[in-house]
Amino acid sequence: MSGNTISRRRALQGIAAVAGSVAAPAIVRAQSGTLQLGVLTPLTGAGGFDGPRMLKAMQAVAAEVNEAGGLLGRQISLIVEDDQTNPEAAVRAARKLIDVSKVPVIMGTWASAVTSAVAPVCWESKTFLTTVSGADSITLLPHQGYLIRTQPNNHLQAAKHAEFMASIGAKRVFCLSIQAPFSVPTQKRLAEVLPQKGSELIGSLIYEKDKTTYRSEIDQALRAKPDFLYLNGYAPDVTVMMRDLYRAGFDGGRLTQSYALTSKVLESLPPEVTEGAYTTQPSADVDSPAFARAVKRLGIDDPDSYETQATDWISLVCLTIAKAKEATGTALRENVRKISQGSGMKVYTAVDGLKALAEGKEINYEGASGPCDFTDIGDIIDCKFRYQRVAAAKFKFLKIA
Amino acid sequence: MVTEVLQLIINGIMAGTILAVPAIGLTAIFAVLRFANFALASHATIGAFAGLVANVNFGLPLVPALAFAFLAAAIAGLVTDEFVLKPFRAAGFITTAIGSIALTIALENVVRFIFGNELRGYDLPIQRDWRFEGIRIGPQQVENLAIAVAVMAAVFLFLTLTRTGKAMRAVADNPMLANIKGINAEMVARIVSFVGMGLAGLGGMLIGLDTTIDPLTGFRSMLSIFAAAVVGGLGSIPGAVVGALTVGVGEELSLLFLSPNYRSAVGFFTILLVLIFRPRGILGQRAL
Repeated sequence: MSGNTISRRRALQGIAAVAGSVAAPAIVRAQSGTLQLGVLTPLTGAGGFDGPRMLKAMQAVAAEVNEAGGLLGRQISLIVEDDQTNPEAAVRAARKLIDVSKVPVIMGTWASAVTSAVAPVCWESKTFLTTVSGADSITLLPHQGYLIRTQPNNHLQAAKHAEFMASIGAKRVFCLSIQAPFSVPTQKRLAEVLPQKGSELIGSLIYEKDKTTYRSEIDQALRAKPDFLYLNGYAPDVTVMMRDLYRAGFDGGRLTQSYALTSKVLESLPPEVTEGAYTTQPSADVDSPAFARAVKRLGIDDPDSYETQATDWISLVCLTIAKAKEATGTALRENVRKISQGSGMKVYTAVDGLKALAEGKEINYEGASGPCDFTDIGDIIDCKFRYQRVAAAKFKFLKIA
Repeated sequence: MVTEVLQLIINGIMAGTILAVPAIGLTAIFAVLRFANFALASHATIGAFAGLVANVNFGLPLVPALAFAFLAAAIAGLVTDEFVLKPFRAAGFITTAIGSIALTIALENVVRFIFGNELRGYDLPIQRDWRFEGIRIGPQQVENLAIAVAVMAAVFLFLTLTRTGKAMRAVADNPMLANIKGINAEMVARIVSFVGMGLAGLGGMLIGLDTTIDPLTGFRSMLSIFAAAVVGGLGSIPGAVVGALTVGVGEELSLLFLSPNYRSAVGFFTILLVLIFRPRGILGQRAL
């Protein structure tokens, strides 16, 4: 009997051995598993045109890094969620990325309202966030350094747009803004800059999204007798307004963001409705070596600002993780400026940067969207803008300035 | 000032009339099946896209394209009600309504899978507005108004003059008594799903004519459609029309003293006010 008896010590040893053998593959898996990075872009909703292209740009860089040996000895995998251009859906998706997938970074929020909702979730969870949202308020949030954006803020954008409108002869500008975090700051900045250039903001209003008609808003704007309209909204509402303006017989100028008047929107509207409209967007740095590499990597002639910004986010994230030698949100916060600015060797791709870091060199990543130098609160320091004009339902390039 | 008020009233009537078409569908389904069918949103989208296919791919003009929109949404409504929502009914109205929300999200994504996310527009000419003493009215708006009024008249005549319409009204009024009288409630349910969702599809295309369409077209309008049906009295077809006009005109007139930022809020304040004084809506009763 005694020979077959299992003592307490042996039982514990046995349990430990079994537990160890069960856990071992998990430990091995954890060490050899992929390094997961979070992506939260609008694959649907108002940002549904830009989100998938930003995702594609990030996937292309991830593939390049993986082909070159990965990051910290592991392959990168992107965990992708759709923010639906909807703050509520975005917060749920962010929670999933943070709580379930345990990602150190979330890349890709687009709408300012979405970023404003997701940012607190990120900084409270010590997760790094990269975005293209432009509202001034975003980098003024108490994000503790857990946020950078490669998009110029509204303060800079509105100033450049005002200068452009004045330069093409707009004298009496009316601004129609969608209800969003960028609306009031943009209107305020236009009112400051237009008079400096011999023009004026004669009126402005903020409208609701998702309405089926904006005839009354257009009537309100036209009563002020503007010669130029600044349509500061998203594609679904700007499209409706373009129609209503044509029907109302308005023949003055119109300027809107490129994300609100895309090539797909041009296809959806009769040519006479969009004829002569101007579009603007932060420009990719088309003369930089990083841009040339992005062109090659993406296989398209002219990657836009969003595609190049997405390229830069994932490149910055990979390089920062390599520099910090750990993949955490806090490591990204502490180290991102060490690889993006300063006197280190200039590198234009993640792969080149990883190679230089492996050789022990200091680096300064210069991106496809611009220099990627950030202020203390996470804004980029400068940016160029691209201007286009619609002629016969096609975009005609005007300038990058 | 008078011109401005008149213009806002006209804009409100035009907007309200278009909302009234799907609102009639919603209210008819509620009257007979006794649950708020939120799948109406995706059926409006299905109708808008079916009309797009008819117009852009097959080159059909407006009215046949609208008929196509009606039929596609009606068939989708019939099929989804029969195979998806019907099994929920035994579990109660709330479960069925929640099921309809799940259904509408699923259908919306089917549309997205087929057509993508991009905005699309109909291949129809766009005309400048007519102007009368400072008031502008769009030819497309007038056409939409005429179509919406014709559809509403057809629904009214169908319900009052035809045997099937009378059967629907009987079921809406008292399903038990209708059953005793030998009216086939199942068949009436199928007809109301067909007609109700068909009207949603037609309404979806009417909304798209004035704007552009994407997979969220119906979803974006659903709150206003629901508001119209509730204000008028959920279950009453004339009520849906009155409700839609009340919401439409109320929202537009609010622009006289409020920022456009608060336009929807006014619509919903209207709902609160109406429901405080008339909890069953302006013409509220469960009868077609």
